[in-house]
Amino acid sequence: MEFLTEIWSFFTFSEPNVKVVFWGSLILCSISGLVGTFTLLRKRSLIGDVISHAVLPGIALAFIIGQQKNPLYLIIGATITGWISTYLVDYITKHSKIKNDTAIALILSVFFGVGVLLLTHIQHSGNASQSGLDQFIFGRASAMNMSDVWLFSIVGTIITILIVIFFRGLSLLSFDENYSQSIGFPNELLKLILSITTVTTVAMGVQAVGVVLMSALLITPAACAKFWTNKIIPMAILALVISGASGVLGSAISYTYNGMPTGPWIVVVVSLFAFISAFIGRKNGLLKKYLQRSKNNTKILRENTIKLFFNPKTLGETQFSFEDIFAKSKMQRATLKKGLSLLKSDKLITTNQGTYATTSLGIEEAKTIVRKHRLWELYISKFMHLQPDHVHDDAEGIEHVITPEIERELEKELDFPTKDPHDSDIPY
Amino acid sequence: MKPSVETHNLTVIYDKKPAIWNIDFTLPTGKIIGIMGPNGSGKSTLLKAIMGIIEPNIGYSKVFDQDLEDVRNKVSYVPQRQSVDWDFPASVWDVVAMGRYATKGLFKRLTKEDHRMIEESLSKVNMTPFTNRQISQLSGGQQQRVFLARALAQNADLYLMDEPFVGVDAATEQAIITLLKSMRDAGKTLLVVHHDLLTAQDYFEHMVLLNSRLVAEGPTSEVFTKDILTETYGGTLTTLSKVANVLQEKDFPMRHK
Repeated sequence: MEFLTEIWSFFTFSEPNVKVVFWGSLILCSISGLVGTFTLLRKRSLIGDVISHAVLPGIALAFIIGQQKNPLYLIIGATITGWISTYLVDYITKHSKIKNDTAIALILSVFFGVGVLLLTHIQHSGNASQSGLDQFIFGRASAMNMSDVWLFSIVGTIITILIVIFFRGLSLLSFDENYSQSIGFPNELLKLILSITTVTTVAMGVQAVGVVLMSALLITPAACAKFWTNKIIPMAILALVISGASGVLGSAISYTYNGMPTGPWIVVVVSLFAFISAFIGRKNGLLKKYLQRSKNNTKILRENTIKLFFNPKTLGETQFSFEDIFAKSKMQRATLKKGLSLLKSDKLITTNQGTYATTSLGIEEAKTIVRKHRLWELYISKFMHLQPDHVHDDAEGIEHVITPEIERELEKELDFPTKDPHDSDIPY
Repeated sequence: MKPSVETHNLTVIYDKKPAIWNIDFTLPTGKIIGIMGPNGSGKSTLLKAIMGIIEPNIGYSKVFDQDLEDVRNKVSYVPQRQSVDWDFPASVWDVVAMGRYATKGLFKRLTKEDHRMIEESLSKVNMTPFTNRQISQLSGGQQQRVFLARALAQNADLYLMDEPFVGVDAATEQAIITLLKSMRDAGKTLLVVHHDLLTAQDYFEHMVLLNSRLVAEGPTSEVFTKDILTETYGGTLTTLSKVANVLQEKDFPMRHK
């Protein structure tokens, strides 16, 4: 509880600096979610990682040249080295035998290594204003000030406007580059817009998240959003919202517990969103798959149980004892009991002093499932050229899958057969 | 009659080695034209070079006797179905609408007329019931129909299609060829990359036979002969590929400037 009230106190803006942290991380992270949507869709997630590591030498160089922590200089420096790194990866992939993944690993480590070297050099140089420069590695939102926030909002607005204006072109480029070229869209310009916005976003974002974890903030929100929607505009907006929310929450936690770096907290929050999305996401979530599977299992149990009552001669007349049915089934006792109670609640069977009998509804149901089974046996023996003794097991599984629609098609294709491959009647 | 496509010494070099070499032909209009050849013979490369997706290293091509830039809105390209990720967040309608971007450009809004053309294209490929379906849920044949509908929405005069019959079911293949024939009857020219020799004769009235170099080009009755097919599919020319290998290994230029 204490934890929550402390986090809440962040959002009341009781301290003046909190406002700066709030707006700063909100802007940085939202933009990165928006831009990251295209990085993800163009399958350039790893390039995001290269850029975020490659901005470090740019930041260090900008400081060495300017001898101060002016945010504009740092962003310009970061943008330049970040952009050079993506250019190099593409150039190496295109013009040498080195494959893309190798080029990515090479450039990432070389740039990051040089960045760390330069940073160490600065720290030993004794320049007093350098303190805090190393926070770019893991990010510290609380180190931002109001002029940073102004800069972020101006650059962020420009990036957003660019993306909104060119949204049609950028989507088509991401889906089908060749087609985009074929209808005369300016692919090179569109790619340039994407690479400039990505590099600039990363260059700003490292202030809050740090170079090591920046790519997570670029990619994870878009990956989350894809669990919820299959349309590109909602996906981009959702990625922006998830990313912004993670940024604010993460900064709030790290601000409240002074001394904690911001980047890891933001990434923890955004990963939590990712975990939740993967689990309950409407489009591709695991929960949906789980529910579907358990629905299927209920259907299978129900149909397998009613099938036990099928007897062509005495259909509907006989009273079965539980032991009769159990002997006929291959189920566990408990499973069978569950199946019988399912049938009873659906009014397919009635019970009378421990014996079971099918209702007319149950008879129809039993006939249907046996009919589907036998139709399928006939179908696969005919079209897959299987021997009659090889068709039963397959039909045991497929009988539950056949919809009334498919059943009609089977009947038509087999010309309304009366006998299955074992010469048993097909009940209609 | 104006030729539909003409190429002059068209040469594309991949990794210092020519993928297509000195392709030189003039194709008629109003016909279904097949581009045939073995794997790796440069069929797709040829289409991409004509479409300006790949810049040729040597030579040039013209469409309807003009530069591609001047007649781009009369030409429609259907890429290989496998060249895109069908898990992309888009619906069938979204993809077909891309066909209208060819005339609308980057910024202009789609009008009622555009919507009508999109719906019409969908109905021509029998995909109307799937209009709002996510493209990730389509079968291979349905994906190909969506690509064709996108091309139809462009309302072009020349269609360049890269392997439209690959990985589709028999019913779709029939539906596609019927559609192509009705397009031809409406005066369109269709240039189709294909590799199935069994059906080639029935589908195409005119053929380009390719094996890095141009083996033959002409009406099907004249070029679809045993000798030419043997030359096309019978492997590469030994001397030619030796020269290509030297070009690649020693990094020689193809032409002196």
